Amino acid sequence: MDILNLLLQGVSVSILPANLLSCIIGVLIGTLVGVLPGIDTVSAIALLLPFSYGMDSTAALIMFAGIYYGSKYGGSTTSILINVPGEAASVVTCLDGYPMGQKGRAGAALAISAIGSFIAGTIGLIGLTLLAPPLAQAALAFGPPEYFSLALVGLILLSKLTGTSTLKSALMAVIGIMLSTIGLDSLSGISRFTFGIDELDRGFDLSIIAMGLFGIGEILTAMTHADAKPDIPSVKFRDLYPTKEEWQRSITPMFRGGIVGFLVGLLPGPAATISSFISYGLEKRYSKHPEEFGHGAIEGVAGPEAANNSAISATMIPLLSLGLPFCGATAILLSGFMIHGITPGPSLITERPELFWGLIASMYIGNVLLLIINLPLIGVFVQLLKTPLNILMPLVAVVTLTGAYSINNSMFDLLWVIFFGIMGFLLQRSGFEPSPLIIGLVLGPELERGLTQGLIICNGSIWALITRPLAAAILSLGAIVILYNFVTWFTRRNHKRKELDVN
Amino acid sequence: MENKVVPAATKYPEKPITLIVPFGVGGGIDLVARTVEKSASTHLGQPLVVVNKPGGTGTIGWNEVAGAPPDGYTLAMTGIEIILQPLYGTTKYHYPSALEPIAQITELSLIMAVQSNQPWNSLEDLIAYAKNHPGEIKFGHPGIGGINHVLGETFAKAANIQLEQVPFQSGAEAMSSLLGGHIQVVFLNPAAVKEQLRSGKVKALALGGEKRLTDPVFTNIPTFREQGLDVVCNSWNGIAAPKGLPDDVKKKLSEGIKKVIDDPEFQKNMENLGLQITYLGPEESGKKWLIDSQRLTKTVQETGIAEKIKTQKK
Repeated sequence: MDILNLLLQGVSVSILPANLLSCIIGVLIGTLVGVLPGIDTVSAIALLLPFSYGMDSTAALIMFAGIYYGSKYGGSTTSILINVPGEAASVVTCLDGYPMGQKGRAGAALAISAIGSFIAGTIGLIGLTLLAPPLAQAALAFGPPEYFSLALVGLILLSKLTGTSTLKSALMAVIGIMLSTIGLDSLSGISRFTFGIDELDRGFDLSIIAMGLFGIGEILTAMTHADAKPDIPSVKFRDLYPTKEEWQRSITPMFRGGIVGFLVGLLPGPAATISSFISYGLEKRYSKHPEEFGHGAIEGVAGPEAANNSAISATMIPLLSLGLPFCGATAILLSGFMIHGITPGPSLITERPELFWGLIASMYIGNVLLLIINLPLIGVFVQLLKTPLNILMPLVAVVTLTGAYSINNSMFDLLWVIFFGIMGFLLQRSGFEPSPLIIGLVLGPELERGLTQGLIICNGSIWALITRPLAAAILSLGAIVILYNFVTWFTRRNHKRKELDVN
Repeated sequence: MENKVVPAATKYPEKPITLIVPFGVGGGIDLVARTVEKSASTHLGQPLVVVNKPGGTGTIGWNEVAGAPPDGYTLAMTGIEIILQPLYGTTKYHYPSALEPIAQITELSLIMAVQSNQPWNSLEDLIAYAKNHPGEIKFGHPGIGGINHVLGETFAKAANIQLEQVPFQSGAEAMSSLLGGHIQVVFLNPAAVKEQLRSGKVKALALGGEKRLTDPVFTNIPTFREQGLDVVCNSWNGIAAPKGLPDDVKKKLSEGIKKVIDDPEFQKNMENLGLQITYLGPEESGKKWLIDSQRLTKTVQETGIAEKIKTQKK
């Protein structure tokens, strides 16, 4: 009950008017950051740092944390409504969220993603409250060889997320990996495939490619189908929200996504994005309707949106209990903390309990606030879809291109968004799915880094690398799943053949 | 190269000044920049706006500043990488001559740390172990060719042992790999090891500076020199402008920055970050750049780092 007492103390800190106000401001800004494509958590917090200088340090931390987890609530909105991911972690929500919107179920998708975020955020926070220090230690057991194994298994299992052929998916994943190698290699300092162009040194931002492939690609598709306007009947207020069946189909994925996200969040790398893809893969595997995935399966929204939110809580664990930021967003949070004179780490919990528990308590409150803010907004957002296509699409184009420009303040990036938009349009017409490309783009660098660093650590021996206990366990699990998939595919094929023979 | 238009400096500064941080958000140099930003507007008369332009170990951001008009409205945060990067031969500008220093703000003695359960309690222990187990000890650093990497190689050469280097993306990643026991040694700046030192998870074996540090957490760490090795490798952060600032602008700017650094509030903030202020004015900084250039040119050649990077870049 010790923790409960501390948490209660934390609640008393977090409901002080100034702290409560910063929490509200933080989650509001976070939602906005999530909704607007292009503006990411890192740049939003960096921009707001100067404004926080005059604030009390606890209040400032609460606000930064609010922006951080709040942004993952808003990220799904534009994915579902207009096929433009507001945040990299919501790329996967485009796959089923947007088709749901086109079927007139945008309201349900938005509601499920907000409620899923809330449930998973809570799961993550409970984990953070109860298990932070031991989990942080456990995360350290993963070294470069283990990241390599995880990335490899992830690539193989996740590349075929949607309905297209295995070969097509693999091709897209490989293109994604190839694109991820462009730019200045952070480990070796070498420029690769940049043809001497300075701007290419930066490499491709995931958001730039995602906004092009999904958003601009969709605009082009809509422009070429004059009758593509989704027929949205004037819906009653009640119809905005999930039906009983949609609820039943979503509840397990939400919890499963919450747990997956939490575990992935403990590891370095873009955890929120990766966890959403893993959750999508899992839901497709366990679903009774795998054929619906990619055409508006609600599980494909519920799971990933839950996963990215609990990943956020989990990334706070290494940050708060070890002082180690494992991703860009927690790195900027760390800056914010340190500028306010607070160093996260083992001593924070013991030396500044009021601050640590106040922050945790404010995250519980913030999650409730986000739900209260987000649910009424659904009606407003769905109304947007009634805008005629010839007005809506140019608006989407403006929002997407502005967002793309704002990532690096670069005109060069805009050209790429348009390029990837055309590519997305052509891919779709020829039956290729862009999502494996995104998987390759996210996991490719992890794979490469894990391999390079792992090989040095293992004195250049690939055998030593893959036989480290944890790495071997991960790889064997992957191998078993692949074998299982192959066997089921084989027996099913035989079965079909026999049926044909009988007929 | 862009045409450099030198405007008539009448009432400098008339608009906010851009301070480019050529590294990502959240690193040590970014923290210094944001602390300067925090106290700037009262002393400079205009706010400073920090803009992060990461990539290329600083070169993307510095290229931009080196090509910007020398009107005092585009400044850069500097670090020892402005000396190092041109030594590897592929930068667009020779930064020490394309930029001019306005101030040095802080100097960082890099710390060599190992996990606390390792049997080594001094440099001597580690060197003895490494001699018996060549190539077994791996050291982590945040980026090939960076000062942390240079320090590691310099130490290995001075001690005549073989250490394998493992590049990471950030100090935090190197630290977590050390804590997990995947690598054995890290060379990192004081802020990056402070918390782990305090909690006893790591122990520090040596300090890259010439003198011991004054912060109580670090006072017990002996320098390399105290332990009989001629290894000195300090990193520093400062502010620079494109070459060719009008004299009056340069004067106003350097006086303003000096005031920012003298501000007790600024000093307290830097202390919170675990950073020690070592101020140098424009001239002293310039001399420092020259000395560092000569010293590091020698080091990167002797350790073979320059060669290694050049062959990779081909």
